[in-house]
Amino acid sequence: MRVIDRYAFGNALRDVDPSQKGALALLAIILCLALDHPAVGILTLVWMLALTTWRARTPLRVFASVLLTEGAFLGLSVAGIALSVASSVPEAPVFAWQFGPIWVSATHKSLMLAAHVLTRTLGSAAALNFLILTTPLVDLIEMLRRMRLPEGLIDIMALTYRAIFVLLDSLERMVTAQDARLGYHTLHAAMRSAALIGSCLFLDAYRRSQQIQTALESRGFDGSLRVLPLDYRRDPRMWQIGVGLTLSLVLARMIA
Amino acid sequence: MSALLEFDDVHYAFPGSAIPALRGASLSIATGQRIALTGRNGAGKSTLLLHANGILRPAKGQVRLDGAPLEYTRRGLLRVRRQVGLVFQNPDDQLFSASVLQDISFGPMNLGLSIADVRRRVAEAADLCGISNLLDRPTHALSSGQKSLVALAGVLAMAPRILLVDETTSGLDPWMRYQIFAIFDRLVEQGVTVLLTTHDLTVARQWADTVVVMHEGRVVASAPPVQVFADPDLQALLGPAP
Repeated sequence: MRVIDRYAFGNALRDVDPSQKGALALLAIILCLALDHPAVGILTLVWMLALTTWRARTPLRVFASVLLTEGAFLGLSVAGIALSVASSVPEAPVFAWQFGPIWVSATHKSLMLAAHVLTRTLGSAAALNFLILTTPLVDLIEMLRRMRLPEGLIDIMALTYRAIFVLLDSLERMVTAQDARLGYHTLHAAMRSAALIGSCLFLDAYRRSQQIQTALESRGFDGSLRVLPLDYRRDPRMWQIGVGLTLSLVLARMIA
Repeated sequence: MSALLEFDDVHYAFPGSAIPALRGASLSIATGQRIALTGRNGAGKSTLLLHANGILRPAKGQVRLDGAPLEYTRRGLLRVRRQVGLVFQNPDDQLFSASVLQDISFGPMNLGLSIADVRRRVAEAADLCGISNLLDRPTHALSSGQKSLVALAGVLAMAPRILLVDETTSGLDPWMRYQIFAIFDRLVEQGVTVLLTTHDLTVARQWADTVVVMHEGRVVASAPPVQVFADPDLQALLGPAP
């Protein structure tokens, strides 16, 4: 999370209006799902990779590592689609492995379906990755605020986002304090220390929430977290990129 | 000198606590003072500050601002918080927003100012605290010293007449402390009263023009440092002299 956050705050598209980036990501996802073809999914992935690494100057390894993390979960799901486990071999298998009385096999149809799901999902995930790697959550919250989402929801999101980092700091301090007293010296000690941290973190979160409430009240809080709207740059190229993305994906669908 | 803020025989016990945190604390604060509020742990220093800002309401006694008792209504509390700013000990307990700019803007926005005025207040407070370059940064990426300055700026943006600072300078490096005390000095020059709770007797002796000593929920002394540190009973209460 810290890595994503660091690049979201430090990339070359940081000051671009989040609604432009959000619209582009949404457009990519809609096209990827609506045009519904592996070629479209792959091309969406390429577009988002290029935008994130070339336009936003986020390192390729960062984009790849985020996508691979998602890909690991996706791979497990896709394997379930591609492979069938049965007591007999299906008709016309591409391959079939026997494990005792059980056959694990895949047909051309199941492999195509898996590839279809994989490319479509990777394309959509890449679009979301473009958004989260170029837009800090504070900007996304600002975007939602402009979209007139209920204030209470926005406030909860903002406080939760801030609390995550405060709790991560607390967690690091607690782990260090335990480690310094041999809290992770053996597997048994590590399990015990980890369990203790859970309860301590809960108490810490509760204490902090009360402190933040007090601090907010001292600055005139009356039920709504009113803050200044942030300023962003409108990038005319984002519209051009949107048009290019749409044309290329439609073309890919027509050709494929 | 007329009193700006007065505590008159203030009593308070936290819910569920058998021991009262304040047992008849009385104190008078005037404009443009540098006050060091000191005393042992549990003496009631932080509790007194929470009363000054209207966060806590006395069980008995009165807190007065400009001679008028605090009103614990929405309007009354807004009036108090507009004039009495409170900076908390741990900036992580105060900073709620992921954006430095937005966090500083929170107080002025609650005062009902226009966006242009809020922007001006934020810019001035950031400039005074030397953090104009941090406005675009996320709060969680700041050092602890920077967080302290942002927390201070968030209160100064409300342009208080009294600034209450709860041990903010403890744990900071000498340069950061120097920077923060320079800000306090500028505020005092502008007529703002700065009240700092501290265990640092050097600060109390050298920076403050009035040292307030609390003990067991009462104010036992409020006098110039020379007078306080010449008193053997108070010395014994505060601990070994630096």
